[in-house]
Order: sequence, then structure tokens, then C-alpha cells
Amino acid sequence: MATLNIGADDLVDNPTPRVPVSLCLDTSTSMAGSPIAELVRGVNLFYEAIDEDDDAHDSAEINIVEFNSSAGLVHDFASIERLPRISSLTADGLTAMAAGVNLALDTLEKRKATYSGSGVLYYQPWLVLMTDGAPTDNIEIAVKRVVDLVETKKLTVFPIGIGSRADMNTLARFSPNRPPLRLDGLKFKEFFEWLSKSVARVSRSTPGDTVKLDLEGLEGWAEL
Amino acid sequence: MFKEFHYQVRGHGHLQDGTPVQDRTKYLSRGGVQVLCLADGAGSATHSQFGAQAVVDEACTTLVNRFADFAASDDGARIKVELLEQLVSKFNQVANQHGVESRELASTFMCVAVSGERFLGAHVGDGVVGYLKNGELKVISAPDNAEFANQTTFVTSSRAAESMRLFRGSLEGVAGFILMSDGTAESLFDARTGRLAAACAKLIAAVGAAPADLSKTSKYTKRLRRLMDLKIRNATKDDCSIGILGRNLARTRPNRPVVGHQVPRGSHR
Repeated sequence: MATLNIGADDLVDNPTPRVPVSLCLDTSTSMAGSPIAELVRGVNLFYEAIDEDDDAHDSAEINIVEFNSSAGLVHDFASIERLPRISSLTADGLTAMAAGVNLALDTLEKRKATYSGSGVLYYQPWLVLMTDGAPTDNIEIAVKRVVDLVETKKLTVFPIGIGSRADMNTLARFSPNRPPLRLDGLKFKEFFEWLSKSVARVSRSTPGDTVKLDLEGLEGWAEL
Repeated sequence: MFKEFHYQVRGHGHLQDGTPVQDRTKYLSRGGVQVLCLADGAGSATHSQFGAQAVVDEACTTLVNRFADFAASDDGARIKVELLEQLVSKFNQVANQHGVESRELASTFMCVAVSGERFLGAHVGDGVVGYLKNGELKVISAPDNAEFANQTTFVTSSRAAESMRLFRGSLEGVAGFILMSDGTAESLFDARTGRLAAACAKLIAAVGAAPADLSKTSKYTKRLRRLMDLKIRNATKDDCSIGILGRNLARTRPNRPVVGHQVPRGSHR
């Protein structure tokens, strides 16, 4: 037979398919004090957990959108190695939840376009919406955008209520397929650990796989 | 005549979670027709390894028997429907034997059949079909991944006929074909450029230059398997499968054609 000499140059090193995750976080005045401090700690633990998982490490790309009296990008999408760890977030102003959700969806769409343009495969994007209150802006358009995407299986959404004053009815409107979660106290750490494991599951999935969320893993720190 | 190599290996992810290899390949040569088939069972389907085996078994038989009809027909839609009906019928039979719904046998499918100086093939789902023609590697059928990386179309999907790519053409200048599952495609297909890796040309050439009397334990077969077992497999967690038809064009005599009509040019998509 002809010599079969196949080296690294003859093969392709395709990029790992990505899981874009947008953390859409309430930084209104009511989050001041322990809630915002615990949230920052939880986000950084999330980054560490993603970093430690071989699969999630290569696939997860995360951004943070904050909303208070308006919405803003804390940092854009980046892989875990390039993600800046956040030292603090400032809690101030109202709860422009719709503006936050719309901005998060815009960034996800833009990221998907970037992937498509460069031939990088990607999984269904995730939107994690966390609030301790009720929106102070009109959420109708944002709700419709999210629901349309969820119902066409183009988005996975996790609405999370923080504390007893979170408006769970509003959060439920963003989640047509499953009820929102209410965190038990300020157990951000447990939530973000669970989230990182869920991201890892998705990043290991292959065509035809149905990724089921580990709902039993919610026990003790959240309720559906 | 083309020489052939086909092989599947269990992925590291399947080893870790205890699932069996769900890729299958098969080659059949009869009556002047050579057929190579490959199927990748869905990870979510409980019996997809049986589905993948059923697909390659049934498709090889169908294409050997129907090559002349399919190659002569200009009605691509009818060919797609007939081929899918044949595969789905086999699925239903195997599903009944195992007492499961046929969707539990979900599998992708791709094939290439050659006879005389014509070829034809079909593809449903992800994975890649390519060929080496006039010294140039070309993709015949690229992966159908819908929008997301963990989504594709299976033979059992409602839109399988719509998604099926049917192709055919002349073998003039064609040194060989390569079929690969998505696991193998991670090393042999550049998703960013849509091009085959240079290794594909070397693999086709190696198969074409192999001795005619090959056995499964020949040095040639062992080297190809070793490449799959190590380099290709280590680049992914998924199962890896490959099918190659190769011939030495310098010494090529036309295949004995199957009795049938002249094959029109063009392809159906």
C-alpha cells in the first residue's frame, strides 16, 4: 500500500461548539448590601466551576448584562480564560428588567451571528434572568421575544427570584415551559454550581441528545 | 473496481457513560454494483445502534438491487420517498422485534453506490460525503446541523425526505469517495471553510493503492484502523466511523456496469 503518513497538518482542528450564556442581573437599589455581594461571589464561583470542567471550559462563553434604571453590558461574551472576574457590582436605581432582557437577547443574537460567520457551531443559547423585585418598565415586548424564542426551541431561559419580594408572576411570564426558581435565601453559590454542571451537560451533548436538567439537584436551595 | 475500507470505533464519551458504539458501516458488492453505507445512531435514542445497523443493511441491499432504476430516473423526489420508505419499513420491523417505538432507532444515513462509470448516493443528517476528482478533494454533501450543534435530521424525522440530499454523476476522473460520521468529521472536515482535510486525499489514495486481496488482518487494514483508533478518535468524545472507496486511476478499467438504462447527468437535491 502507499505510505500512510498522516500528520497534524493533514487533519483539522475544529473549534469546540459554544454554549453562549447571558447572565442578566438585577442591580437595582434593593439589591444593595448582602444580596449584591453574594451575587458577585456566586458569579465568580460560577466562573471557577466552568473553568474546572473540561468540557464546559472549552465551550461556555458568558456575558453579563445588568439592569437598574437602564441596562448596560458589564462585559461582553468571552471564553472562561478571557473572562474578567468581577470584583463588585453597584446596586442603584430602578428595575428596568425589560431593557435588561432586550439587551441580553440582542447580545445573544449578535454572538450567534459571529459564530455563524466564522463557522463555529453552537448550542441553544441560555438566558439567566435574576431579580429580587418587580420591573419598573414595560415588559410586554421583552416577554414576547423570550417566549417566541423558547417556544421555537431557540433559547433556554432560567428566571430566578431572589428573596421573598421577587415578583414570581412576572418571572413566570418569561418562562413558558417551566416555572421560575426562587432561591432559598441568598444561596447563589448552590445555584451557580448547579448552572455550571448544566452547562457542562449541554457541552457534552451530541446530535439527537435531549439534555434534561437535573431538577433533583435543585433541592435544598431553591424551589420551582 | 474500487477497493474499500470501512470501520467504526467507540467514542471516549460512550466509553465513559457506558453506551455502546452507535455508528455502523457496511460494504456490499454484487452484480457489478459496489455500495458503501454509514449510519450514526442518535445519542438520545435507546436502540439507535440497532437502527444504524438496520439502515446500513437495508440500504446496501436496496442500492445493489435498485442502482439501475435509481440511476436512470429523473424523478429525484420519487427516489427519496422510495429509499426512505424502504429504510423506515426496516426500522419498524426492527423496532417491533425489540418492542420499542421506531423513533428509538433514530439514525443518520449516508451512502455511495458505483457501477460502470456512474455513481449515486444519498445523505440524511450530519456527517460528510466527499470525493477526490481530478486530484481535487470536494465535498458532495455537507452536514445538516439545523441551527444548533446538537440538532440534526434522522431517517425517522418528519422532515427526512425534505432534508435528504441525493446526488449522482460520472466516475470519470474520480479516484475515490469518503464517508464520515460527525465524530470523524471533527478531524477530517473543516466546519469553518466547508472543506475536507488534506488527510482525506491520502486516505483515498492509500485505499486505492492497496493490494486487491485484502483481509481484515492485513497490514493495510491495521494501519487504517490504527489511525481511526488513535488520531481520529482522540479528537472527539463521539463515536467515529468512516467509509472509503478508492481506485488507482492509472490502472482503472471501467467497472462492469449493472444492466440498466443510461444514467442522465445531474443531481437531485
